[in-house]
Amino acid sequence: MGLFSPWFLAGLAAVGLPVYFHLLRKHKSPPLPFSSLMFFEPRTQSSIQHRRLQYILLFTLRTLLLVLLVLAFAGPFIMGGPAAAGGGRRLVVVAIDNSFSMRQGGRLEQARQQALQVLAGLRPEDRAQVLAFSRQVSVMSEPSGDQAVLRGAVSAIEPTDSRSSYGDLVRALRSVVQSAQVPVEVHLFSDLQKTSMPAGFAELALPAGASLKLHPVGEANMPNWAVEAVTAPARVDGKGGARVQAVIAGLGPEAATMRASLVVNGRVIESKSAETPAAGRTTVEFAPFDAPHGASRCQVQIESLDAFPADDRFLFAVERADPARVLFVHESRDTRSPTYFRAALEAAGQASFALDARTAFDLGGVDPASYAFVVLSNVTSVPGPFEEALKKRVQAGGALLIALGPAAAVRGRIPVLETSIVESRYAARQGDRFQMVDWLDTAHPSIHRANRWEGVRFYQVFSVKADNLRVLARLADQTPVLLERQEGEGRVLLFTSTLDNIANDFPLHPAFVPFVEQTARYLSGLDEGRSSMTVDSYFELRRTSGEGAAADVLDPRGGRVLDLSGTAKALGFTLAEEGFYEVRRAGGRRELVAANADRRESNFETIPKDTLALWQNTGEGSAGAQGAPAGESRPSPLWWYVLFVAFVLALAESVVAAGHLSLKKEAA
Amino acid sequence: MSRRYLDPETLAGISGLDLVAKTVVEGFIAGLHRSPDFGFSQEFAEYRAYSEGDDLRHVDWNVFARTERCYLKRYRGETNTRLTVLIDASASMGYGSHRVNKLEYARYLAASLFYMAHRQRDAAGIIVFDDQVRNHLAPSSRHGQLLRLLYALERIELGVRTDFRKPFLHFQQFLFRPGIVAAISDFYQDPELVIKTIEPLRFRGNELVLFHLLDPQEIAPGFKRPVLLVDMEDEQAMDVSPEYAQTEYRARIDGHIENLRASAKRAGMDYFLLDTSRPLDEALREYLVVRRGRM
Repeated sequence: MGLFSPWFLAGLAAVGLPVYFHLLRKHKSPPLPFSSLMFFEPRTQSSIQHRRLQYILLFTLRTLLLVLLVLAFAGPFIMGGPAAAGGGRRLVVVAIDNSFSMRQGGRLEQARQQALQVLAGLRPEDRAQVLAFSRQVSVMSEPSGDQAVLRGAVSAIEPTDSRSSYGDLVRALRSVVQSAQVPVEVHLFSDLQKTSMPAGFAELALPAGASLKLHPVGEANMPNWAVEAVTAPARVDGKGGARVQAVIAGLGPEAATMRASLVVNGRVIESKSAETPAAGRTTVEFAPFDAPHGASRCQVQIESLDAFPADDRFLFAVERADPARVLFVHESRDTRSPTYFRAALEAAGQASFALDARTAFDLGGVDPASYAFVVLSNVTSVPGPFEEALKKRVQAGGALLIALGPAAAVRGRIPVLETSIVESRYAARQGDRFQMVDWLDTAHPSIHRANRWEGVRFYQVFSVKADNLRVLARLADQTPVLLERQEGEGRVLLFTSTLDNIANDFPLHPAFVPFVEQTARYLSGLDEGRSSMTVDSYFELRRTSGEGAAADVLDPRGGRVLDLSGTAKALGFTLAEEGFYEVRRAGGRRELVAANADRRESNFETIPKDTLALWQNTGEGSAGAQGAPAGESRPSPLWWYVLFVAFVLALAESVVAAGHLSLKKEAA
Repeated sequence: MSRRYLDPETLAGISGLDLVAKTVVEGFIAGLHRSPDFGFSQEFAEYRAYSEGDDLRHVDWNVFARTERCYLKRYRGETNTRLTVLIDASASMGYGSHRVNKLEYARYLAASLFYMAHRQRDAAGIIVFDDQVRNHLAPSSRHGQLLRLLYALERIELGVRTDFRKPFLHFQQFLFRPGIVAAISDFYQDPELVIKTIEPLRFRGNELVLFHLLDPQEIAPGFKRPVLLVDMEDEQAMDVSPEYAQTEYRARIDGHIENLRASAKRAGMDYFLLDTSRPLDEALREYLVVRRGRM
């Protein structure tokens, strides 16, 4: 028998109310005329006699009612029957933090030793389970009383480069408690970083029946300096060098001056002095460097001034490649559209493309796979072999931009997409009969930064069967002007007008250049690459499920991340550790993915003690049975029964009070 | 008539004291067994020689014509009884825990006594007093006396407080001829004082009957919780607990009644305690017992 919320017992003071009304309140009798007081004592009757208990039954009912209400709020419970499972009297959960910050000094080893001491103190009837947690919770052992198994599980815990998350740990603990059926005692061994706290404190609430004991390890609030972020292009072409900016964070109360170096493929390219303010950040910019052809392993590193050198470097990858080749297919009579398209590509500053403009008759022997993407600009037809090769290329992950025009409408069939043109909507330039864009899907990469299509006049557009086509832009008469379809692993964009400044005046508008550039980057896949990623993030290998081109992945230690099946089917993989992942795609293309630990792990500011106390209280407050003999039984709340009895008493009190308050009784 | 018509609660529903008195007496008589001891008839009893001062109306002129002697013809029902009712009209007589308070009961009782006296051709009179004489009608058997007496009863208003000494000194001068004196009061006075004040009347040949009227609540208070009692005569207030009222008070009121009864007995008076919740026939029976001794 116990109480979940014993502090509600303070409400018992309310019992004083009926005591006051029935016993202590001075009785005021109504004056009653009497024939003579000759035989009464000429003295005042003692007030104590007035305090005699009246309405004994009513007083008893009211007092009991208040007591039961207070008791109901206090949450009474009794210990239930034997637990269904578990066998031991309690389950001791040993949770050890193996996040990136635990690499500092001997934190993880210290945690292991403390955990072993806790396990050594287990009672014979106890069982224990070992968990390791960082971004995810790893069950190192099932509940067991075998010391050898448990000690082995503790010793097997290895440090990771992940970020710790107490919210995820508590979620895992809830399922452990739910399945344990016995009181659970959680021992948490961690450096208690403040940055590992979840956004809402409610996520830390321990489940009923669990208690938390904290075992802090390592130096609290240790000063630290880290390379927090690096901004560098993932891809450069032959036009210029890669410009690198690094943010160096001082996570401590002291300012510091240090050397920051840019290292490319193990060679220091440049070193600069960086002054980091106390609890602040500074930016170091390195001169553009000429990265060698192919993917380069780069890093910015600072000289180590603290006890945690693991975050004194930041990895990133830069790929130097030739300009991406774009095959532009057009009609022999059409010389305007390649001109406008080439001009727009060359005006783009961020990436370089080499436009290979050919007529439909010059496609013999041309392999679409050797181009980043293909543009079919208002062509009546393309040679069959080329179209087949183009289809395969798209299915394998290639990209295609199709612009429709009068020539394309002659045949009525749109290559690759296997759909047809329904009608042509033509408006003569005379009389200003044109259509304008009414709606744009500004979230699409092609339009995201090129969404100023106001004023673009469309004189001729072609309606198509929009089966499985996603509309990205629509004219005022609801005719789609830009559509997209996913074909296999590739993409096809369909522009239902021309690029030659005849069917529309789009090439003359400022939005044309960014549209062409963004579309080229989107279709060639250049906008997907990042110079660095964070450990635990997901790297996408392909867009669709199913077997596609093989992609082999090597982790920083040279091991294969994917098995043979995954090489052909996996959509992606998680970057589990810091370092360079190497992705080898079909066709010999090689990518480097730099993974860095989450820099929130570099902040050794610990959780305030008040917060820790509150966290522990969530377990103690909800687990009122901890003081009771542990194991074998669970608390069964009784408040419902108490409240029912109080309700019955309230009814009885109403009946009795109504009887006392009747006029007849009062008159008597 | 049924005995229920003698119940005070029933009488309270009858308007007019004459009707009340008639109802009571007729009901009472109808319930009696006929007995020669009571001599209600107008039958001839005896002849008595005329003596100076006798009423000439009672001379049997037929006997005088034959014998030339004056004889008075007396009948059994004819007496010289004079009934004087003393009614206490102090404020305490206004107390009543039920429908009929003590003064109302006293009215019914007096009216019934007057009616009965009227039937027996007794002279009847009334004296109303509290701390002084409020009203006085000399005993008479003349025609219309009953109505005057009933009217006097109707006019009684509650006075202030009881004081036997002053009014009794006053109306001793009215009671110079012997008769029956019925004092109706709650006698909230020292019994010795009451007897000592009334006793001189007996020396003049009067039969004294003390009708002690008490409400049932005065005899046995039934307070269930503390009450604040206010004296109806001097308006003194006093907190009274139920325990006291049910123990010590009852002992004291019982002692008072016993003292009064004993003192009256020692002084040769008749004492009768009347509970205002009880029927009137017992009081009438007491009157007849007393009157019988005077026949």
